[in-house]
Amino acid sequence: MKLLRNIVMSDKRHKSGTLLNDLREIHNQIPRWVLILLALGLAAVVVTRITQLIIMLIAAGAVAYILNSVITAFERLGMKRSVAVILLFVFAAMLVIVTNRIFIPDLNQEIMNVYARFPEFSRQIQDALLLTAQSSAGKYPFIESSIMKFVDIVFGPGGFLERTLSASEILMQATPFIMAFILVPFFVFFLLKDWPGAMRRVMGWVPASYVETTISVIEEINILVGKYLRGLAADCFVIGALASAGLWLIGVNYPLTLGILSGVANIIPYFGPVIGCTVSSFVALMQYRSFDPLLNVIVLYIVIKLMDDLVIQPLLIGKGVHLHPMLLVITLIVGEKLFGIMGMISGVPVVTAAQKTAVILLEHHRDKQRRESTRSTIKLNPVKSPVRPI
Amino acid sequence: MVMEILKRYFSWALDKTMESRLQTLSDGPLFKGISKKLLRKLLVDLIEKKYAEGDIIFHEGEVGKAFYVVLEGSVKIIKESNPENKTLHVLGPGSHFGELALIGNTSRFASAVAEKDSLLLIMYKSYFDDLIRRNNAISTKILLNLAEILSDYIHRNQPE
Repeated sequence: MKLLRNIVMSDKRHKSGTLLNDLREIHNQIPRWVLILLALGLAAVVVTRITQLIIMLIAAGAVAYILNSVITAFERLGMKRSVAVILLFVFAAMLVIVTNRIFIPDLNQEIMNVYARFPEFSRQIQDALLLTAQSSAGKYPFIESSIMKFVDIVFGPGGFLERTLSASEILMQATPFIMAFILVPFFVFFLLKDWPGAMRRVMGWVPASYVETTISVIEEINILVGKYLRGLAADCFVIGALASAGLWLIGVNYPLTLGILSGVANIIPYFGPVIGCTVSSFVALMQYRSFDPLLNVIVLYIVIKLMDDLVIQPLLIGKGVHLHPMLLVITLIVGEKLFGIMGMISGVPVVTAAQKTAVILLEHHRDKQRRESTRSTIKLNPVKSPVRPI
Repeated sequence: MVMEILKRYFSWALDKTMESRLQTLSDGPLFKGISKKLLRKLLVDLIEKKYAEGDIIFHEGEVGKAFYVVLEGSVKIIKESNPENKTLHVLGPGSHFGELALIGNTSRFASAVAEKDSLLLIMYKSYFDDLIRRNNAISTKILLNLAEILSDYIHRNQPE
Protein backbone atom coordinates (compact mmCIF):
# COMPACT_ATOMS: atom_id res chain seq x y z
CA MET A 1 0.00 0.00 0.00
CA LYS A 2 2.81 2.32 0.95
CA LEU A 3 4.51 1.58 -2.36
CA LEU A 4 1.33 2.26 -4.31
CA ARG A 5 0.79 5.52 -2.44
CA ASN A 6 4.34 6.58 -3.22
CA ILE A 7 3.84 5.77 -6.90
CA VAL A 8 0.62 7.85 -6.96
CA MET A 9 2.39 10.69 -5.16
CA SER A 10 5.23 10.48 -7.63
CA ASP A 11 2.68 10.68 -10.47
CA LYS A 12 1.26 13.87 -8.96
CA ARG A 13 4.71 15.39 -8.81
CA HIS A 14 5.30 14.48 -12.42
CA LYS A 15 4.57 17.98 -13.66
CA SER A 16 7.35 19.51 -11.59
CA GLY A 17 10.11 16.88 -12.29
CA THR A 18 11.33 14.89 -15.28
CA LEU A 19 10.05 11.39 -16.00
CA LEU A 20 13.53 9.98 -15.42
CA ASN A 21 13.70 11.50 -11.94
CA ASP A 22 10.27 10.09 -11.09
CA LEU A 23 11.28 6.65 -12.29
CA ARG A 24 14.46 6.86 -10.22
CA GLU A 25 12.40 7.81 -7.19
CA ILE A 26 10.02 4.88 -7.70
CA HIS A 27 13.03 2.60 -8.16
CA ASN A 28 14.49 3.84 -4.87
CA GLN A 29 11.23 3.08 -3.07
CA ILE A 30 10.95 -0.54 -4.24
CA PRO A 31 12.70 -2.87 -1.76
CA ARG A 32 15.92 -4.33 -3.13
CA TRP A 33 14.80 -7.96 -2.65
CA VAL A 34 11.75 -7.32 -4.85
CA LEU A 35 14.02 -6.00 -7.61
CA ILE A 36 16.36 -8.99 -7.27
CA LEU A 37 13.40 -11.41 -7.44
CA LEU A 38 12.01 -9.61 -10.51
CA ALA A 39 15.42 -9.69 -12.21
CA LEU A 40 15.84 -13.41 -11.43
CA GLY A 41 12.31 -14.15 -12.73
CA LEU A 42 12.98 -12.21 -15.93
CA ALA A 43 16.33 -13.96 -16.37
CA ALA A 44 14.63 -17.37 -15.88
CA VAL A 45 11.99 -16.54 -18.54
CA VAL A 46 14.66 -15.35 -21.01
CA VAL A 47 16.84 -18.41 -20.31
CA THR A 48 14.00 -20.89 -20.96
CA ARG A 49 13.15 -19.09 -24.24
CA ILE A 50 16.67 -19.29 -25.69
CA THR A 51 17.89 -22.59 -24.30
CA GLN A 52 19.41 -23.74 -27.60
CA LEU A 53 21.52 -20.60 -27.87
CA ILE A 54 22.60 -20.88 -24.25
CA ILE A 55 23.58 -24.53 -24.77
CA MET A 56 25.73 -23.49 -27.73
CA LEU A 57 27.27 -20.66 -25.70
CA ILE A 58 28.06 -23.06 -22.83
CA ALA A 59 29.68 -25.51 -25.27
CA ALA A 60 31.62 -22.70 -26.96
CA GLY A 61 32.71 -21.37 -23.55
CA ALA A 62 34.00 -24.79 -22.50
CA VAL A 63 35.90 -25.30 -25.79
CA ALA A 64 37.30 -21.74 -25.63
CA TYR A 65 38.38 -22.30 -22.04
CA ILE A 66 40.32 -25.45 -22.94
CA LEU A 67 41.87 -23.84 -26.05
CA ASN A 68 42.77 -20.69 -24.10
CA SER A 69 45.75 -22.48 -22.58
CA VAL A 70 47.13 -22.99 -26.12
CA ILE A 71 46.58 -19.30 -26.97
CA THR A 72 48.23 -18.27 -23.68
CA ALA A 73 51.25 -20.41 -24.59
CA PHE A 74 51.56 -18.46 -27.88
CA GLU A 75 51.14 -15.16 -26.01
CA ARG A 76 53.93 -16.14 -23.65
CA LEU A 77 56.18 -16.26 -26.72
CA GLY A 78 55.27 -12.61 -27.26
CA MET A 79 52.75 -13.22 -30.05
CA LYS A 80 49.63 -11.06 -30.51
CA ARG A 81 46.52 -12.82 -29.30
CA SER A 82 44.60 -12.29 -32.56
CA VAL A 83 47.45 -13.84 -34.59
CA ALA A 84 47.62 -16.79 -32.17
CA VAL A 85 43.85 -17.40 -32.50
CA ILE A 86 43.99 -17.35 -36.31
CA LEU A 87 46.99 -19.72 -36.28
CA LEU A 88 45.15 -22.10 -33.95
CA PHE A 89 42.04 -22.14 -36.17
CA VAL A 90 44.12 -22.78 -39.31
CA PHE A 91 45.92 -25.61 -37.47
CA ALA A 92 42.60 -27.04 -36.19
CA ALA A 93 41.11 -27.01 -39.70
CA MET A 94 44.17 -28.79 -41.07
CA LEU A 95 44.07 -31.29 -38.22
CA VAL A 96 40.41 -32.10 -38.88
CA ILE A 97 41.10 -32.64 -42.59
CA VAL A 98 44.22 -34.77 -42.03
CA THR A 99 42.65 -36.81 -39.21
CA ASN A 100 39.56 -37.41 -41.29
CA ARG A 101 41.63 -38.59 -44.25
CA ILE A 102 44.35 -40.63 -42.57
CA PHE A 103 43.50 -41.75 -39.07
CA ILE A 104 39.72 -42.01 -38.99
CA PRO A 105 38.81 -44.41 -41.84
CA ASP A 106 38.63 -47.37 -39.42
CA LEU A 107 36.27 -45.51 -37.12
CA ASN A 108 34.22 -44.21 -40.05
CA GLN A 109 34.02 -47.73 -41.41
CA GLU A 110 32.87 -49.02 -38.04
CA ILE A 111 30.20 -46.30 -37.72
CA MET A 112 29.03 -46.85 -41.32
CA ASN A 113 28.83 -50.59 -40.65
CA VAL A 114 26.69 -50.00 -37.57
CA TYR A 115 24.48 -47.59 -39.55
CA ALA A 116 24.15 -49.92 -42.57
CA ARG A 117 23.34 -52.91 -40.41
CA PHE A 118 20.97 -51.00 -38.15
CA PRO A 119 17.76 -52.58 -39.59
CA GLU A 120 19.34 -56.00 -39.12
CA PHE A 121 20.39 -55.14 -35.54
CA SER A 122 16.96 -53.87 -34.67
CA ARG A 123 15.42 -57.10 -36.01
CA GLN A 124 17.95 -59.12 -33.99
CA ILE A 125 17.11 -57.21 -30.79
CA GLN A 126 13.42 -57.70 -31.51
CA ASP A 127 13.98 -61.45 -32.03
CA ALA A 128 16.08 -61.74 -28.85
CA LEU A 129 13.43 -59.91 -26.84
CA LEU A 130 10.57 -61.98 -28.30
CA LEU A 131 12.53 -65.16 -27.55
CA THR A 132 12.94 -64.05 -23.93
CA ALA A 133 9.24 -63.17 -23.74
CA GLN A 134 8.27 -66.62 -25.05
CA SER A 135 10.60 -68.42 -22.64
CA SER A 136 9.20 -66.54 -19.65
CA ALA A 137 5.58 -66.73 -20.80
CA GLY A 138 4.61 -69.66 -18.57
CA LYS A 139 6.49 -68.71 -15.39
CA TYR A 140 6.43 -64.88 -15.47
CA PRO A 141 3.46 -63.56 -17.46
CA PHE A 142 4.21 -60.04 -16.19
CA ILE A 143 7.69 -60.08 -17.82
CA GLU A 144 6.19 -61.41 -21.05
CA SER A 145 3.57 -58.66 -21.23
CA SER A 146 6.14 -55.96 -20.34
CA ILE A 147 8.54 -57.12 -23.05
CA MET A 148 5.74 -57.29 -25.62
CA LYS A 149 4.64 -53.77 -24.71
CA PHE A 150 8.25 -52.50 -24.98
CA VAL A 151 8.71 -54.20 -28.39
CA ASP A 152 5.47 -52.63 -29.60
CA ILE A 153 6.43 -49.12 -28.41
CA VAL A 154 9.96 -49.24 -29.83
CA PHE A 155 9.75 -51.50 -32.90
CA GLY A 156 6.05 -51.51 -33.77
CA PRO A 157 4.45 -49.59 -36.69
CA GLY A 158 4.64 -45.86 -35.85
CA GLY A 159 6.88 -46.77 -32.89
CA PHE A 160 9.93 -44.95 -31.53
CA LEU A 161 12.39 -46.33 -34.10
CA GLU A 162 10.16 -45.68 -37.11
CA ARG A 163 9.55 -42.10 -35.95
CA THR A 164 13.19 -41.46 -35.08
CA LEU A 165 14.59 -42.87 -38.32
CA SER A 166 12.16 -41.10 -40.69
CA ALA A 167 13.91 -38.62 -43.00
CA SER A 168 11.91 -35.62 -41.77
CA GLU A 169 12.61 -36.49 -38.11
CA ILE A 170 16.34 -36.98 -38.80
CA LEU A 171 16.42 -33.60 -40.59
CA MET A 172 14.56 -31.92 -37.74
CA GLN A 173 16.84 -33.47 -35.12
CA ALA A 174 19.96 -32.72 -37.17
CA THR A 175 19.19 -29.00 -37.69
CA PRO A 176 20.37 -27.87 -34.23
CA PHE A 177 23.53 -29.96 -34.62
CA ILE A 178 24.27 -28.40 -38.03
CA MET A 179 23.67 -24.95 -36.52
CA ALA A 180 25.92 -25.81 -33.59
CA PHE A 181 28.58 -27.11 -35.99
CA ILE A 182 28.68 -23.67 -37.64
CA LEU A 183 27.97 -21.39 -34.67
CA VAL A 184 30.09 -23.00 -31.92
CA PRO A 185 33.42 -22.48 -33.77
CA PHE A 186 32.25 -18.94 -34.61
CA PHE A 187 31.58 -18.21 -30.91
CA VAL A 188 34.84 -19.93 -29.89
CA PHE A 189 36.82 -17.72 -32.27
CA PHE A 190 35.46 -14.47 -30.85
CA LEU A 191 35.53 -15.66 -27.24
CA LEU A 192 39.22 -16.51 -27.62
CA LYS A 193 40.11 -13.34 -29.51
CA ASP A 194 38.20 -10.79 -27.44
CA TRP A 195 38.19 -12.32 -23.95
CA PRO A 196 41.03 -10.21 -22.42
CA GLY A 197 39.53 -7.00 -23.90
CA ALA A 198 36.09 -7.90 -22.50
CA MET A 199 37.68 -8.65 -19.10
CA ARG A 200 39.43 -5.26 -19.13
CA ARG A 201 36.11 -3.56 -19.93
CA VAL A 202 34.31 -5.45 -17.15
CA MET A 203 37.11 -4.61 -14.69
CA GLY A 204 36.72 -0.96 -15.75
CA TRP A 205 33.08 -1.04 -14.60
CA VAL A 206 33.87 -2.65 -11.23
CA PRO A 207 33.95 -0.02 -8.44
CA ALA A 208 37.39 0.36 -6.84
CA SER A 209 36.19 -1.02 -3.49
CA TYR A 210 35.01 -4.28 -5.14
CA VAL A 211 38.12 -4.97 -7.24
CA GLU A 212 39.83 -7.41 -4.87
CA THR A 213 36.56 -9.31 -4.29
CA THR A 214 35.84 -9.44 -8.04
CA ILE A 215 39.33 -10.71 -8.82
CA SER A 216 38.96 -13.19 -5.98
CA VAL A 217 35.73 -14.53 -7.56
CA ILE A 218 37.30 -14.63 -11.06
CA GLU A 219 40.40 -16.46 -9.79
CA GLU A 220 38.38 -19.01 -7.77
CA ILE A 221 36.05 -19.72 -10.71
CA ASN A 222 39.01 -19.87 -13.09
CA ILE A 223 40.85 -22.41 -10.95
CA LEU A 224 37.68 -24.43 -10.36
CA VAL A 225 36.41 -24.50 -13.97
CA GLY A 226 39.91 -25.16 -15.29
CA LYS A 227 40.39 -28.07 -12.93
CA TYR A 228 36.93 -29.45 -13.75
CA LEU A 229 37.20 -29.19 -17.55
CA ARG A 230 40.76 -30.50 -17.80
CA GLY A 231 39.91 -33.30 -15.37
CA LEU A 232 36.72 -34.14 -17.22
CA ALA A 233 38.49 -34.33 -20.59
CA ALA A 234 41.18 -36.61 -19.13
CA ASP A 235 38.54 -38.69 -17.31
CA CYS A 236 36.55 -39.21 -20.54
CA PHE A 237 39.70 -40.29 -22.36
CA VAL A 238 40.68 -42.80 -19.65
CA ILE A 239 37.13 -44.20 -19.36
CA GLY A 240 36.87 -44.48 -23.16
CA ALA A 241 40.20 -46.32 -23.32
CA LEU A 242 39.25 -48.68 -20.45
CA ALA A 243 35.83 -49.44 -21.97
CA SER A 244 37.36 -50.07 -25.42
CA ALA A 245 40.02 -52.39 -23.99
CA GLY A 246 37.50 -54.21 -21.77
CA LEU A 247 34.95 -54.73 -24.55
CA TRP A 248 37.72 -55.92 -26.89
CA LEU A 249 38.85 -58.45 -24.24
CA ILE A 250 35.29 -59.69 -23.71
CA GLY A 251 34.94 -60.03 -27.48
CA VAL A 252 32.11 -57.55 -28.06
CA ASN A 253 31.97 -56.06 -31.58
CA TYR A 254 32.84 -52.40 -32.30
CA PRO A 255 34.92 -51.85 -29.13
CA LEU A 256 36.38 -48.56 -30.44
CA THR A 257 33.01 -46.94 -31.23
CA LEU A 258 31.46 -48.20 -27.99
CA GLY A 259 34.53 -47.05 -26.02
CA ILE A 260 34.32 -43.53 -27.49
CA LEU A 261 30.58 -43.44 -26.82
CA SER A 262 31.15 -44.58 -23.21
CA GLY A 263 33.89 -41.98 -22.73
CA VAL A 264 31.78 -39.14 -24.10
CA ALA A 265 28.64 -40.28 -22.21
CA ASN A 266 30.71 -40.37 -19.02
CA ILE A 267 30.62 -36.55 -19.03
CA ILE A 268 27.05 -36.78 -17.72
CA PRO A 269 27.20 -37.48 -13.98
CA TYR A 270 25.45 -40.69 -12.84
CA PHE A 271 23.53 -41.32 -16.11
CA GLY A 272 26.57 -41.39 -18.42
CA PRO A 273 27.91 -44.81 -17.37
CA VAL A 274 24.35 -46.23 -17.60
CA ILE A 275 24.07 -45.00 -21.21
CA GLY A 276 27.45 -46.58 -22.15
CA CYS A 277 26.57 -49.85 -20.41
CA THR A 278 23.08 -50.03 -22.00
CA VAL A 279 24.33 -49.49 -25.57
CA SER A 280 27.21 -51.98 -25.14
CA SER A 281 24.75 -54.51 -23.63
CA PHE A 282 22.48 -54.15 -26.67
CA VAL A 283 25.41 -54.74 -29.01
CA ALA A 284 26.46 -57.82 -26.99
CA LEU A 285 22.86 -59.05 -27.02
CA MET A 286 22.66 -58.70 -30.80
CA GLN A 287 26.03 -60.33 -31.32
CA TYR A 288 25.53 -63.39 -29.09
CA ARG A 289 21.71 -63.58 -29.08
CA SER A 290 21.95 -64.59 -25.45
CA PHE A 291 21.77 -62.86 -22.09
CA ASP A 292 24.94 -64.57 -20.77
CA PRO A 293 27.55 -62.13 -22.17
CA LEU A 294 25.46 -59.26 -20.76
CA LEU A 295 26.74 -60.15 -17.30
CA ASN A 296 30.36 -59.67 -18.49
CA VAL A 297 29.48 -56.27 -19.99
CA ILE A 298 27.64 -55.14 -16.84
CA VAL A 299 30.50 -56.33 -14.57
CA LEU A 300 32.98 -54.49 -16.84
CA TYR A 301 31.05 -51.22 -16.54
CA ILE A 302 30.63 -51.64 -12.76
CA VAL A 303 34.40 -52.17 -12.41
CA ILE A 304 35.08 -49.11 -14.61
CA LYS A 305 32.62 -47.00 -12.58
CA LEU A 306 34.22 -48.06 -9.29
CA MET A 307 37.71 -47.30 -10.65
CA ASP A 308 36.41 -43.95 -11.89
CA ASP A 309 34.89 -42.99 -8.53
CA LEU A 310 37.66 -44.30 -6.31
CA VAL A 311 40.84 -43.69 -8.31
CA ILE A 312 40.50 -41.79 -11.59
CA GLN A 313 38.21 -38.89 -10.61
CA PRO A 314 39.94 -38.09 -7.29
CA LEU A 315 43.26 -38.07 -9.16
CA LEU A 316 42.15 -36.08 -12.21
CA ILE A 317 39.37 -33.78 -10.99
CA GLY A 318 40.10 -33.68 -7.26
CA LYS A 319 37.70 -32.82 -4.48
CA GLY A 320 37.38 -29.13 -5.36
CA VAL A 321 34.29 -29.56 -7.52
CA HIS A 322 32.38 -32.09 -5.47
CA LEU A 323 28.85 -31.13 -4.42
CA HIS A 324 26.78 -32.55 -1.62
CA PRO A 325 24.99 -35.65 -3.08
CA MET A 326 21.54 -34.11 -2.52
CA LEU A 327 22.54 -30.83 -4.16
CA LEU A 328 24.16 -32.80 -6.99
CA VAL A 329 20.92 -34.70 -7.77
CA ILE A 330 18.86 -31.46 -7.60
CA THR A 331 21.41 -29.77 -9.89
CA LEU A 332 21.18 -32.64 -12.40
CA ILE A 333 17.37 -32.62 -12.44
CA VAL A 334 17.08 -28.83 -12.77
CA GLY A 335 19.90 -28.77 -15.38
CA GLU A 336 18.18 -31.47 -17.42
CA LYS A 337 14.81 -29.69 -17.25
CA LEU A 338 16.31 -26.36 -18.37
CA PHE A 339 19.01 -27.31 -20.89
CA GLY A 340 18.82 -31.09 -21.40
CA ILE A 341 22.07 -33.06 -21.42
CA MET A 342 24.16 -29.88 -21.62
CA GLY A 343 22.46 -28.67 -18.44
CA MET A 344 23.39 -31.90 -16.67
CA ILE A 345 27.02 -31.56 -17.78
CA SER A 346 27.48 -27.88 -16.96
CA GLY A 347 25.26 -27.86 -13.84
CA VAL A 348 27.94 -29.18 -11.46
CA PRO A 349 30.67 -26.58 -12.17
CA VAL A 350 28.10 -23.77 -12.41
CA VAL A 351 26.53 -24.57 -9.01
CA THR A 352 29.95 -25.10 -7.39
CA ALA A 353 31.15 -21.78 -8.80
CA ALA A 354 27.95 -20.07 -7.54
CA GLN A 355 28.54 -21.61 -4.10
CA LYS A 356 32.14 -20.30 -3.97
CA THR A 357 31.06 -16.86 -5.26
CA ALA A 358 28.40 -16.62 -2.55
CA VAL A 359 30.99 -17.45 0.14
CA ILE A 360 33.43 -14.80 -1.20
CA LEU A 361 30.68 -12.15 -1.44
CA LEU A 362 29.53 -12.88 2.11
CA GLU A 363 33.13 -12.56 3.33
CA HIS A 364 33.43 -9.25 1.47
CA HIS A 365 30.18 -8.00 3.01
CA ARG A 366 31.34 -8.95 6.51
CA ASP A 367 34.74 -7.35 5.94
CA LYS A 368 33.08 -4.15 4.65
CA GLN A 369 30.76 -3.92 7.65
CA ARG A 370 33.68 -4.38 10.04
CA ARG A 371 35.71 -1.76 8.17
CA GLU A 372 32.91 0.80 8.06
CA SER A 373 32.54 0.67 11.80
CA THR A 374 36.20 1.72 12.28
CA ARG A 375 36.92 3.88 9.21
CA SER A 376 38.25 7.42 9.26
CA THR A 377 38.06 9.78 6.28
CA ILE A 378 40.99 10.13 3.91
CA LYS A 379 42.31 13.62 3.21
CA LEU A 380 45.03 13.87 0.58
CA ASN A 381 47.67 15.71 2.59
CA PRO A 382 51.19 14.86 1.35
CA VAL A 383 54.04 14.45 3.82
CA LYS A 384 57.41 12.91 2.77
CA SER A 385 58.38 9.64 4.43
CA PRO A 386 60.37 6.47 3.64
CA VAL A 387 58.65 3.56 1.81
CA ARG A 388 57.34 0.77 3.99
CA PRO A 389 56.09 -2.50 2.50
CA ILE A 390 52.32 -2.79 2.90
CA MET B 1 66.30 -18.20 -30.45
CA VAL B 2 62.55 -18.45 -31.22
CA MET B 3 62.12 -14.85 -30.07
CA GLU B 4 64.97 -13.67 -32.29
CA ILE B 5 63.41 -15.31 -35.36
CA LEU B 6 59.99 -13.92 -34.43
CA LYS B 7 61.39 -10.42 -33.89
CA ARG B 8 63.26 -10.49 -37.18
CA TYR B 9 60.65 -11.85 -39.57
CA PHE B 10 57.33 -11.60 -37.78
CA SER B 11 57.48 -8.29 -35.92
CA TRP B 12 53.87 -7.60 -37.06
CA ALA B 13 52.75 -10.64 -35.05
CA LEU B 14 54.40 -9.51 -31.80
CA ASP B 15 52.45 -7.92 -28.97
CA LYS B 16 54.16 -4.56 -28.45
CA THR B 17 52.06 -3.56 -25.42
CA MET B 18 53.29 -6.69 -23.67
CA GLU B 19 56.90 -5.81 -24.45
CA SER B 20 56.54 -2.38 -22.80
CA ARG B 21 54.76 -3.94 -19.78
CA LEU B 22 57.64 -6.43 -19.51
CA GLN B 23 60.13 -3.60 -19.38
CA THR B 24 58.11 -1.90 -16.60
CA LEU B 25 57.96 -5.13 -14.59
CA SER B 26 61.63 -6.06 -14.98
CA ASP B 27 62.66 -2.53 -13.87
CA GLY B 28 60.84 -2.98 -10.52
CA PRO B 29 62.70 -4.42 -7.49
CA LEU B 30 60.23 -7.29 -6.94
CA PHE B 31 60.80 -8.82 -10.37
CA LYS B 32 64.52 -8.14 -10.79
CA GLY B 33 66.59 -11.13 -11.90
CA ILE B 34 63.60 -12.90 -13.46
CA SER B 35 64.13 -13.57 -17.16
CA LYS B 36 61.77 -11.93 -19.66
CA LYS B 37 60.72 -15.39 -20.80
CA LEU B 38 59.47 -16.19 -17.28
CA LEU B 39 58.00 -12.73 -16.79
CA ARG B 40 55.97 -13.17 -19.97
CA LYS B 41 54.39 -16.26 -18.40
CA LEU B 42 53.40 -14.18 -15.40
CA LEU B 43 52.20 -11.15 -17.32
CA VAL B 44 49.68 -13.04 -19.47
CA ASP B 45 47.75 -14.16 -16.38
CA LEU B 46 47.60 -10.87 -14.45
CA ILE B 47 44.61 -8.54 -14.48
CA GLU B 48 44.74 -4.86 -15.50
CA LYS B 49 42.46 -2.22 -14.02
CA LYS B 50 42.12 1.52 -14.58
CA TYR B 51 41.54 3.71 -11.51
CA ALA B 52 40.25 7.27 -11.69
CA GLU B 53 41.96 10.05 -9.75
CA GLY B 54 40.96 9.82 -6.07
CA ASP B 55 39.78 6.17 -6.24
CA ILE B 56 40.66 4.32 -3.05
CA ILE B 57 42.43 1.12 -4.09
CA PHE B 58 42.33 -0.37 -0.60
CA HIS B 59 41.91 0.79 2.97
CA GLU B 60 44.27 0.49 5.89
CA GLY B 61 43.17 -2.39 8.13
CA GLU B 62 41.59 -4.48 5.34
CA VAL B 63 42.85 -8.01 4.92
CA GLY B 64 45.15 -7.83 1.90
CA LYS B 65 44.19 -10.11 -0.98
CA ALA B 66 46.18 -8.69 -3.89
CA PHE B 67 49.45 -7.15 -4.95
CA TYR B 68 49.64 -4.19 -7.36
CA VAL B 69 52.12 -2.86 -9.91
CA VAL B 70 51.72 0.72 -11.22
CA LEU B 71 51.83 0.67 -15.03
CA GLU B 72 50.65 4.23 -15.66
CA GLY B 73 49.79 7.19 -13.41
CA SER B 74 50.67 7.40 -9.71
CA VAL B 75 49.40 6.08 -6.39
CA LYS B 76 49.61 7.59 -2.91
CA ILE B 77 50.20 5.42 0.13
CA ILE B 78 48.43 7.06 3.07
CA LYS B 79 48.36 6.32 6.80
CA GLU B 80 44.65 6.69 7.60
CA SER B 81 45.08 6.10 11.31
CA ASN B 82 47.36 9.13 11.48
CA PRO B 83 45.36 12.26 12.42
CA GLU B 84 46.83 14.14 9.43
CA ASN B 85 46.32 11.28 6.96
CA LYS B 86 50.08 11.22 6.50
CA THR B 87 51.24 10.38 2.96
CA LEU B 88 53.99 7.81 3.24
CA HIS B 89 54.95 7.68 -0.38
CA VAL B 90 53.90 8.50 -3.93
CA LEU B 91 54.47 5.62 -6.34
CA GLY B 92 54.99 6.04 -10.09
CA PRO B 93 55.11 3.61 -13.05
CA GLY B 94 57.13 0.46 -12.30
CA SER B 95 56.54 0.70 -8.53
CA HIS B 96 54.61 -1.93 -6.64
CA PHE B 97 52.60 -2.03 -3.43
CA GLY B 98 50.48 -4.43 -1.38
CA GLU B 99 53.23 -7.06 -1.57
CA LEU B 100 52.68 -8.37 1.99
CA ALA B 101 49.29 -9.74 0.86
CA LEU B 102 51.22 -12.39 -1.08
CA ILE B 103 52.79 -13.96 1.99
CA GLY B 104 49.95 -14.08 4.49
CA ASN B 105 46.51 -12.90 5.53
CA THR B 106 47.83 -9.72 7.13
CA SER B 107 45.89 -6.46 7.37
CA ARG B 108 46.96 -3.54 5.19
CA PHE B 109 49.37 -1.25 7.06
CA ALA B 110 48.25 1.81 5.04
CA SER B 111 45.70 2.86 2.43
CA ALA B 112 46.36 3.28 -1.30
CA VAL B 113 44.71 6.06 -3.32
CA ALA B 114 45.06 6.83 -7.05
CA GLU B 115 46.72 10.24 -7.18
CA LYS B 116 46.07 10.54 -10.94
CA ASP B 117 44.16 8.38 -13.41
CA SER B 118 46.21 5.19 -13.15
CA LEU B 119 46.54 1.77 -14.75
CA LEU B 120 47.48 -1.00 -12.33
CA LEU B 121 48.44 -4.62 -12.82
CA ILE B 122 46.91 -6.85 -10.14
CA MET B 123 48.11 -10.22 -8.88
CA TYR B 124 45.65 -12.02 -6.63
CA LYS B 125 46.95 -14.01 -3.66
CA SER B 126 45.42 -17.35 -4.70
CA TYR B 127 47.07 -16.91 -8.12
CA PHE B 128 50.44 -16.47 -6.39
CA ASP B 129 49.75 -19.53 -4.20
CA ASP B 130 48.99 -21.46 -7.38
CA LEU B 131 52.18 -20.10 -8.95
CA ILE B 132 54.23 -21.42 -6.00
CA ARG B 133 52.87 -24.89 -6.79
CA ARG B 134 53.20 -24.59 -10.58
CA ASN B 135 56.29 -22.52 -11.21
CA ASN B 136 58.97 -22.51 -8.56
CA ALA B 137 61.41 -20.55 -10.72
CA ILE B 138 59.23 -17.41 -10.70
CA SER B 139 57.69 -17.66 -7.23
CA THR B 140 61.01 -18.40 -5.46
CA LYS B 141 62.64 -15.41 -7.14
CA ILE B 142 59.71 -13.13 -6.20
CA LEU B 143 59.81 -14.34 -2.56
CA LEU B 144 63.61 -13.81 -2.41
CA ASN B 145 63.21 -10.29 -3.82
CA LEU B 146 60.45 -9.63 -1.30
CA ALA B 147 62.67 -10.84 1.54
CA GLU B 148 65.39 -8.50 0.27
CA ILE B 149 62.98 -5.54 0.19
CA LEU B 150 61.82 -6.30 3.75
CA SER B 151 65.34 -6.72 5.12
CA ASP B 152 66.39 -3.50 3.39
CA TYR B 153 63.47 -1.70 5.04
CA ILE B 154 64.36 -3.13 8.46
CA HIS B 155 68.01 -2.07 8.06
CA ARG B 156 67.09 1.45 7.01
CA ASN B 157 64.68 1.90 9.89
CA GLN B 158 66.83 0.47 12.69
CA PRO B 159 67.65 2.98 15.45
CA GLU B 160 71.21 4.38 15.25
